Amino acid sequence: MGVILEVKNLTKKFGGLTAVNDFSFEIKRGEFVGLIGPNGAGKTTVFNLISGFEKPNSGSIRFDGMDITGLKPYQIVNLGLVRTFQLVRSFHYMSVLDNVSVACLSPRGKKASEKVGLDKYASRILSEVGLIDKARFPPVILPHGDLRRLEIGKAAGTNPQILLLDEPFSGLSYEEQEHIHALIRRLSNEGVTIFITGHVLRELMNLVPRVIAMHQGKFITDGSPQEVANHKLVLEAYLGRGGGIA
Amino acid sequence: MPKKIRSKVSNTVSGTKNFFLGIPRATRNLYKEIPHQVKSFKEWIFTFRGSLTILCLIGTILVPLITMDDYIMTILISFLVFSIFAASWDLLAGYTGQVSFGHSVFFGIGAYVAAAFVKMAGLPWFFSMIIGAVAAILVGLIIGIPCLRLKGPYLALGTQAFSLILFNLFMSGELKDILGSTEGISALPAMSEAHIVTFFFILIIMVISFIILTIIVKSNIGTIFKAIRDDETAADASGINTTKYKLIAFMISGFFAGIAGGLFALNSRAVNPSVFLALYSFYAIVMVALGGIATISGSVVGAFIYWVILTELFKPMGALGTIFLYFPTLISALILIIMIRFADQGILKPALEHIREFYDFLLGR
Repeated sequence: MGVILEVKNLTKKFGGLTAVNDFSFEIKRGEFVGLIGPNGAGKTTVFNLISGFEKPNSGSIRFDGMDITGLKPYQIVNLGLVRTFQLVRSFHYMSVLDNVSVACLSPRGKKASEKVGLDKYASRILSEVGLIDKARFPPVILPHGDLRRLEIGKAAGTNPQILLLDEPFSGLSYEEQEHIHALIRRLSNEGVTIFITGHVLRELMNLVPRVIAMHQGKFITDGSPQEVANHKLVLEAYLGRGGGIA
Repeated sequence: MPKKIRSKVSNTVSGTKNFFLGIPRATRNLYKEIPHQVKSFKEWIFTFRGSLTILCLIGTILVPLITMDDYIMTILISFLVFSIFAASWDLLAGYTGQVSFGHSVFFGIGAYVAAAFVKMAGLPWFFSMIIGAVAAILVGLIIGIPCLRLKGPYLALGTQAFSLILFNLFMSGELKDILGSTEGISALPAMSEAHIVTFFFILIIMVISFIILTIIVKSNIGTIFKAIRDDETAADASGINTTKYKLIAFMISGFFAGIAGGLFALNSRAVNPSVFLALYSFYAIVMVALGGIATISGSVVGAFIYWVILTELFKPMGALGTIFLYFPTLISALILIIMIRFADQGILKPALEHIREFYDFLLGR
């Protein structure tokens, strides 16, 4: 069980604001890790930095032993590190099947889909995420929960080693959340390393065995959900200084 | 150690070497899909759209049987040429989302290079046309590399700038000996002795171009083009090298616009710097907007409506005075505004639906 993702002293500044401040952590292969923090803690910025959509001011990101700092997003995806977006980004005027096919047509996705054939491979992913009945529809007419599942399907199409899920539960009903829970668990059982963010602790509590907490761009603590939930600084971050029900 | 690993990364996924090798590889995969495309073509002929297309094609072929009037032939030939040009713009703007306002650059380069090879080197027109189109691909590369960093309206302005540069370059008096200045290249040999033969040559080239464009649009490359159009960031996050595919789109589009330009010059037997004018880009945009964006076949409908119906309808007005000569352009600009406001799907799609209803009604369905 080697380290698959190693982030060291990551710092990102937007003008005078330090969004991510000297952030370091490690994820082992096959692990299932959550990243929590209140709104504006810098979770999405961490994801943007890891997946190459933004360049860090300093620090390094190593994936599978390779330094991927400063590589372009598509190059990082083709190495096996794939992310989803908090605000769903689908290809609006293409069918749901074609949405997944695009991911299967990337160099990495192609390697995986070549043996089975593109259409078959893409439909297999669709039936896994439970959208096979809607394969011919354009995503614009799908409800939000389906779009989230499509987002995960698109990421799965590139055959990822590690999947970065940015707030996959935000704005979903309870049943829809359960669907996504089951889907993510299944991916994790298949051996995909999963790194997931959320600002509501309760959503992640039952799902992940290990949580990293951050506040105002800084690393706070790292451990099991219970440990993190009872950590003094985490409670302060969520409830304010001097408060606390624990 | 990091340096060593870094070079491993660039060898496997990136690097300029791989980038340029990737382009032929991506295009080569098109061949693999041809058997599948042929099969779906056979099915397509018997569908509603397919039979309608074949009917229109037969109608066009039969025109010379009804009339061999030179004037009508000339109009029909330019209609065919401009439908290729409009379709090439549709591939770039409608399918890949790269709205170029400088499409006349490809048209002009294709026209000039084809004319130069026919006149100076005495090559047959077909080879000159292909050389002109290849030159347009190279120009597509040269324009594409700096312009691909631009998005949306900035891309439109950037490409427009290139057409202005080339227009002024070809107009300049200092370069008269090389580029011909305002006179351009004239007195080219005719493509064939009779207008009908030229008409059929161009019809064949146009049909082949449309088949190739349709295959491209329906292939995997087409899927990637559409993904880039819908959401470039999401395409990037799906592992697609968007720069590479946008460049491929520029090159394919440039090739067909170059063919249209070459045919335009060879058919009118002369070429002058006005081919670089924004007016020609505007023609393509109007035709695609009329026919329907992101429907390769809509370009034919748009070109027919604009070039054959509208222009000819307003031409008699020119007799009333010089000012009325501008009427066709004025009216079509108005029509364009109305289309964009009220019918952004173009004419083809809604019209097809109505015809289909009628068709079903006739068959008693």
